[in-house]
Amino acid sequence: METKKLPDETALAFYSKVSASISHELKNSLAVINESAGFLEDIILMAQKGRPLDPNQIGALAGTVLKQVQRSNTIIKNMNRLAHSLDEKRSSIELIDLLELMTCLVERTAVNKGVKISTTFPETRINLTTCPFYLQTLVWLVLEYSMAACGVDKTIGLGVTQTNAGARIYFSGLKSVTSGSIDDFFSGRLESLLAVLKADLTISESDGRLEFLLPASVPEIFES
Amino acid sequence: MSDNVLIVDDEKDFLDLISERLAARDVKVSTATRAQDALSLLDKESYDAVVLDLQMPEMDGLEALKRIKEKNPDVQVILLTGHATVEKGVEAMKLGAMDLIEKPADLTTIIDRIKRAKAEKIILVEKKSEQRIRDILTRKGW
Repeated sequence: METKKLPDETALAFYSKVSASISHELKNSLAVINESAGFLEDIILMAQKGRPLDPNQIGALAGTVLKQVQRSNTIIKNMNRLAHSLDEKRSSIELIDLLELMTCLVERTAVNKGVKISTTFPETRINLTTCPFYLQTLVWLVLEYSMAACGVDKTIGLGVTQTNAGARIYFSGLKSVTSGSIDDFFSGRLESLLAVLKADLTISESDGRLEFLLPASVPEIFES
Repeated sequence: MSDNVLIVDDEKDFLDLISERLAARDVKVSTATRAQDALSLLDKESYDAVVLDLQMPEMDGLEALKRIKEKNPDVQVILLTGHATVEKGVEAMKLGAMDLIEKPADLTTIIDRIKRAKAEKIILVEKKSEQRIRDILTRKGW
């Protein structure tokens, strides 16, 4: 039987998953830096034995280390942005920023599954007052579901438009989207997130599309 | 005879660096950035050890390990991973991995594991040869 999950429980699971993915990415980056340092040691040892130093080789190694430092810095910046979305349960956010962060965070998972996420974002900013962490959790889960539902094309469309009442986020290219598969995947996690975000979900099986309507503002959350 | 190793990792920079460093230590290295390519290489050549990243695009390390072991049960597989959970480690061992090393790893550790893998493979091959000779002797009744 399906059990309704509390949004905090779902969000914590999402946070753990992202943290694990980030730590993996950082370890990969550290492994490259570690090998670069080892290679430098090898070069020094060979130089001590009389082999001339090759400035191009050393320059290439410096470039590799720099690239990994930049990569790690981006990963940590994204982690920091995610961590700060927990500062306040309800706050004003810029929706495109939030979606861009989510596509960065989910990138490794998408690459591992061979899936491409194609985004269509408007030039204008879309400001909402919402529960950012729950919204991030919802987007992450829907992206995870979409990766399983996008079929052989392996491409997910993610877009956003402003509406009179707030905003619409859509996920397209979901060849095998069905209400049943959504129920199976979310197993009680979706309803509580939609409720706290005051969001409405529309499933279009024939178009392979999911749409979430978000209000411009959600009411304050009162802790029990 | 130098050790012959296949390293499979989707991090191209990592592959380039580790191959160069191992080659400088008289290890013959082949590389693949995809598990599928590694499987093709295993069809063509015999390796003392395969060093395999656990998380890769398209086919992950555990799936690759399973397929490698199906193709060639004697090949020794060392898993290399950015984050090894106990569950994954146990699963890997059940699937026949020889060892699991966490990234970033010391090159001495990797070389030590490759040497152990080679020794393990030699023992397995010798055991098989012995068994084959025993079978022949039993069949022929000498």
